[in-house]
Amino acid sequence: MVIETAGALWEWSPALATGFWQNILISLLAIAIGSLLGLLIGALAVSPLWITRLPARIWVQVFRNAPWLVLIYFTTYVFPFELHIGGHWVAFPDWVKVTIGLALPASANVAEIFRGAIGSIPGTQWEASRSLAFTRGQIFRSIILPQCFKRMLPPWMNLYAVITMGTALASLVGVHDLIDTAQIASNTVNRTGFTVMIYFSVLALFFVYCYPISRLTQHLERRYAFS
Amino acid sequence: MSHWLEVFVQWAAKLGLNYSFVLDAYARDSLLQGALTTVWLCLFTLVGSLLAGVTLAAMLTSGKPWLARPARVFVEVTRNTPTLVQLYCAFLVLNMLLTQAVGTANPLTPFAWVVIVISLHKGAFHAEALRAGIEAVPAVTLEAASSLAFSSRQLLWNVQMPLAVRFALPSLVNNLIDLVKMTAVASAIAVGDITYASIMIWTQSDNVLELMILLLAFFGLLSFVVNCVGRFLEARLRMPGYGH
Repeated sequence: MVIETAGALWEWSPALATGFWQNILISLLAIAIGSLLGLLIGALAVSPLWITRLPARIWVQVFRNAPWLVLIYFTTYVFPFELHIGGHWVAFPDWVKVTIGLALPASANVAEIFRGAIGSIPGTQWEASRSLAFTRGQIFRSIILPQCFKRMLPPWMNLYAVITMGTALASLVGVHDLIDTAQIASNTVNRTGFTVMIYFSVLALFFVYCYPISRLTQHLERRYAFS
Repeated sequence: MSHWLEVFVQWAAKLGLNYSFVLDAYARDSLLQGALTTVWLCLFTLVGSLLAGVTLAAMLTSGKPWLARPARVFVEVTRNTPTLVQLYCAFLVLNMLLTQAVGTANPLTPFAWVVIVISLHKGAFHAEALRAGIEAVPAVTLEAASSLAFSSRQLLWNVQMPLAVRFALPSLVNNLIDLVKMTAVASAIAVGDITYASIMIWTQSDNVLELMILLLAFFGLLSFVVNCVGRFLEARLRMPGYGH
């Protein structure tokens, strides 16, 4: 019976791999979009003008406080099925909508990470560089930002791991991902041993992907702690 | 009450939002029931996660490898796997095995499984926060206390824990806000929380946007309440010279 279960698991492993690739693709796209958008919003949030600061603050507050699942439902059901681009109807697949749904909270978190990193640079550095006649733009580009990227890296990687775990929610809106595949496999094979195995394999796959990221993050945190 | 609802519906209609479902007694009751379920879910998991967190933190800092090692493995696995997968592993796998073992006498409802899984999940995060708090207590403080003839139990309860809780409080509150948001996954196994009630309504009448705004406002309100309680506790427990 154990051999049968293992055989069924082996048979389903290509499908599981395809499903997991979908999860990884969503997570990579979501962190890419979220980072670009988040840096933009973070830059607005640290600007000296309140008119740009206020919308950035609202964006961050709304998308950091909303449950991810609700945001995913939001983007899935509110966006249209097709887009009308240049006279053509282009399909707007569900997995892209989920990606946007995850990119929204990601952007809010990246904005906060960015704001935190800039806030963590001692104010004396600003004063010192101003006294050396650097302009505001020059201070940002040559003094503040290079230090910020180092400080942002560990929390950003942490965020990526969290987003990867968030992609599990995609199965709830009908994206054919790892968990969806596992459910189909479990229902098709319909054997107790197999069901146990497949769900714990899903758990193991996520763990194998996310644990090294988390270890690397801890390592970097310790390395950058006092510099 | 119904008069105010009508005024609200008309006001929302001017903004282009169709909230007429709140005038329908059935939809309104199922939403209110869902909101109540979410609040209960939050309260149960809040208490459960703190209990699990304290237990795990005690195991992690016990200094005994046979206690610390399993706790560490549990914390790492919990922190690095999705909640939804953990919920499925519990509800679809463990619950199935339990039902096969005891038949229909299975005492655990989907609600209970959600409480157990989220409590343990957030417990792992609380444990890390508490462990960091316990380790942040300066060694000299403990040495000073033991030189004043505190027993090891007194040392733990009167010196180490009060300080550790104060250090850990901001991240505990952060975890609890996350917990409130996380209860939305209960809808995945058909627990009738507010998310599930909303899904039921928008599959019948096409008003996703209106329900989404309602959902976001509701979760925003819950997070806000947790945040306020956290702020109050932080101010109440503040000790000059410790924490912020």
